[in-house]
Amino acid sequence: MSTKQQKERIELLQGTLDLLILRTLLLGPTHGHAIAKAIEFNSDNVLQVEQGSLYPALHRLIKRGWISAEEGTSENNRRAKFYRLTVKGRRQLAVETSKWDKLAGAIAQILRPAEQEGKS
Amino acid sequence: MSRRNRMMEGLDQDIREHIAMETQDNIERGMSPEEAVYAAVRKFGNVTRVKEDTRDVWSFVWLEKLWQDIRYAARTLRRNPGFTLVAVLTLALGIGANVAIFTVVHAVLLQPLPFPHPEQLVRVYDDIRSSNTHDIGMSIPELWDLRDHSGVFQDISALVSADANLTGGDHPERIELLGTSANYFTMLGAHPQLGRIYTSADARPGFSDPVVISDAFWHRTFGADPNVLGKKIRVDGDLYTIAGVMPPDFRHPGRTLTADVDVWGTAGFAADPFPLPVVRATRFLPGAIGRLKPGLTLAQGQSQLDDFVAQLSRQYPDEYPAAAGWSVRLVPIQQDIVGNVRTELFVLFAAVAFVLLIACVNLANLLLARSARRQREIAVRLAVGAGRSRLVTQLLTESILLGTIAGSAALLTVFWLKSSLLRLAPSDLPRLNEVSLSPGVLFFAFLISILTGVFFGLAPALQSARTSQITALREGTGGAGSSKHQMKFSRLLVASEIALSLVLLIGAGLLVRSFWHLLEVRPGFEPHHLTTAKIWLAVPNNPREDNYFTPERRAAFQHEILRRISAIPGVEQAALGTPSSLPMEGKHAQAPFVIENRALDSERIPVAEIASVSPSYFSVLKTPLITGRFFADSDDTKGQQVALIDETLARRYWPDSDAVGQRLRLAVPSLRNQNAAQNPWLTIVGVVANIKSDGFDAASAPHIYRSVYQAPSYAGVVYLRTTADLGILGEAVRAEVQTVDPTIPVFGVRTMDFIVSAFLAERRFAFELLGIFAGVALLLASVGIYGVMAYTFSRRTNEIGIRIAMGAKRTDILKMALTEGTVTVAFGVVVGLFGSLALTRFLQSMLFSVKPTDPATFATIAALLAGVTLLACVVPAHRATRVDPLIALRHE
Repeated sequence: MSTKQQKERIELLQGTLDLLILRTLLLGPTHGHAIAKAIEFNSDNVLQVEQGSLYPALHRLIKRGWISAEEGTSENNRRAKFYRLTVKGRRQLAVETSKWDKLAGAIAQILRPAEQEGKS
Repeated sequence: MSRRNRMMEGLDQDIREHIAMETQDNIERGMSPEEAVYAAVRKFGNVTRVKEDTRDVWSFVWLEKLWQDIRYAARTLRRNPGFTLVAVLTLALGIGANVAIFTVVHAVLLQPLPFPHPEQLVRVYDDIRSSNTHDIGMSIPELWDLRDHSGVFQDISALVSADANLTGGDHPERIELLGTSANYFTMLGAHPQLGRIYTSADARPGFSDPVVISDAFWHRTFGADPNVLGKKIRVDGDLYTIAGVMPPDFRHPGRTLTADVDVWGTAGFAADPFPLPVVRATRFLPGAIGRLKPGLTLAQGQSQLDDFVAQLSRQYPDEYPAAAGWSVRLVPIQQDIVGNVRTELFVLFAAVAFVLLIACVNLANLLLARSARRQREIAVRLAVGAGRSRLVTQLLTESILLGTIAGSAALLTVFWLKSSLLRLAPSDLPRLNEVSLSPGVLFFAFLISILTGVFFGLAPALQSARTSQITALREGTGGAGSSKHQMKFSRLLVASEIALSLVLLIGAGLLVRSFWHLLEVRPGFEPHHLTTAKIWLAVPNNPREDNYFTPERRAAFQHEILRRISAIPGVEQAALGTPSSLPMEGKHAQAPFVIENRALDSERIPVAEIASVSPSYFSVLKTPLITGRFFADSDDTKGQQVALIDETLARRYWPDSDAVGQRLRLAVPSLRNQNAAQNPWLTIVGVVANIKSDGFDAASAPHIYRSVYQAPSYAGVVYLRTTADLGILGEAVRAEVQTVDPTIPVFGVRTMDFIVSAFLAERRFAFELLGIFAGVALLLASVGIYGVMAYTFSRRTNEIGIRIAMGAKRTDILKMALTEGTVTVAFGVVVGLFGSLALTRFLQSMLFSVKPTDPATFATIAALLAGVTLLACVVPAHRATRVDPLIALRHE
């Protein structure tokens, strides 16, 4: 990875990681490494996950009862913990997604007029 | 908590796997293995921080929830001040009693003695098994054998407790001297606070010059003078040099004559003033203290010692006839000091534990009743999604908070009242000075507070959380009775409370009965208006310096003393005797004797308590003569050697014939009269009634009395039959005695009533405390059953209204209440009776002429308890029937 590539990447906002994990797990249970890769891949490598920070987040979600963990085997036959979205987590994802949409919309509304002002 | 651990355990593994997967991906992307690992690790980030962050996720939430629960519990308690107050007071009472007793138990029984390896220290006793005579004393050759040849001891030191005269001050003072072997302090591992201890370098055949004094003596006599070292003190006429001062917390680990040891001196016990020549038969050493070889258990030591004793018995068949059964017994030093106080303390401890249990049961009941009222709150919380386990945790937090508050209150109270509480304890309780609120006690208080909270809170909490949301919400609005299940449960609690109280009450009842029996014992003397005092003639180490070396001189001295004290105004009659003639002061030693013309019974060597008394002794004590005559003034060294015996001895050895005129002699020579063969035959001139010399509770020991003019000793006790004031009397006796010899101290001036009550004090203490605890238990149990019944009936006002409206009479309602109460009470009483049957045998050693299963006590107490508790359940029922049926029906 070159430094140029890294500059184009965006650090995750506090708390958004939880949302992304929940969203990723909506597709089915998987292990930590796969979650990290999926987040990077699905954002066209724009979102940068410091992979370690995934684990406190995963534990936090378990603690809240939004996901659960179980033992399993990965695609290349390694022992790994698989994380699964719970019913509660699914509900939470809906809530968080709509919150995020509102937030993103609001921020966009504030930012766009500013852009236009800058152009004019 | 456990989930957290489970989750944290897998984390390391997960991280490792994660990095391995990333590495694999990187290799597939074409990196070299080293590069791949490096990139993977970098991408993962700081592993330690990740782990810490993850751990925080768990701990933070856990703590936060606890804090939340505590705040919520505190709010709830504040909102119910009445309940909180009652709960805290009840619990504080229970916990306080436990902490107080534990403080004593901890100091007396649990805390190891302040010596290195205290478990190795043992007291060594000699016994004669055939006559069941304990603690017969030890001779010097026996001590040497144990030290050099037994292979059991690292070290062994003789112990000779003695009263001694300290002269040279304003007036002679009686002090307690402990004669030991030179290795005593080094064996204990004790160090002085000032100067030095004596060591084996100071060993001499007789007494050595250096002595060590106690901190208390240093303060009392020398005003804690730091220049005390090297000063001379005159003890029993002999000069000694003070070599060291022991620290305040050093106490001789064993029983002493009256109080603490003042002066420690060392002797080889094989030169004057000790009996010479050194022979096996002269067992003048009261005993010894030893330190077992490292790694040797008590049992191993004892069995090795048994073998060694057997070997000695074969070696010296004349000294140790096989039939006598001479044996040497090891007693762990802690057990030796504590003695039978152990049982008493454990009984008291059990009693307070019962009180606390009862308090817990009461509170559990209170909480149950309250939880019925809180059902709606709980149902609502369940409905909005609180987990049941979370609810239980929250309710438990509340009860643990209560327990902790009560525990703190109890601890503070015990701390404030410590000194006044300790004054209640008998002063001869061993190690009383070590009682303190140590970390161990604090830990106990903390633990017991938490446990108490869990104990009384758990069942109600579980019960609450089981609440069905639907019925609770409905019931809450309706105000109908609480669930049947819950009522049954609280009845069970009440029954267990009754059972526990019954056990306590029966225990207390047995002790009270014992005490009554004890008060009824006829001691064989009249303690009222009898005053005693002790005197002590100095025994200098050199016989030539001994003014009272010959029996004639001592007899003359005693004669003169008696003449003078008899003339003190207000004294009706006076008498004199040796220390063993003073009743009720501990157990007196028994000595073997021989009866003339009677074959030695190989099974039972005759033994008796020996005392020398003046002719007036029995008339002063008001002990009746059975046959023959009392001593006369003419029974002196010039006259025929005579003896009096008591009824017990007469009945045992002359059951069918007259003992008067028969002859006997003591088998063991007295100090300074060494040859056994020279003991004179004593002609029995009379038989007197028994005197309970070893205490009201001991079997009557056989006694042989000698005339104090024929067998005068160095120590004496004077008896005054008088109604005069103790203080004046003491001074008068001192003045008279010191007119005769100004070096002689007069000490221990007490009335016989005082001695008797001091003897009874320990038992009184035990039964009073147990009585108080039992009373508290009875009160708590009554309040408990009253509360439950009152609650039941207030909940059933509606039902009772209907019953009355339908034509039930008030008596029917009462009968109903009584029936319900009786079932509960009967169940509790039956369980309690069985519990008592199982438990009261632990009281055995504290009882006196009452069996642990005394049917009368059991029946009386059970009836009493049943009556009180039934009354407690009829009262609320009676009140319920007073309600106007109309109001009752409307009662929602």
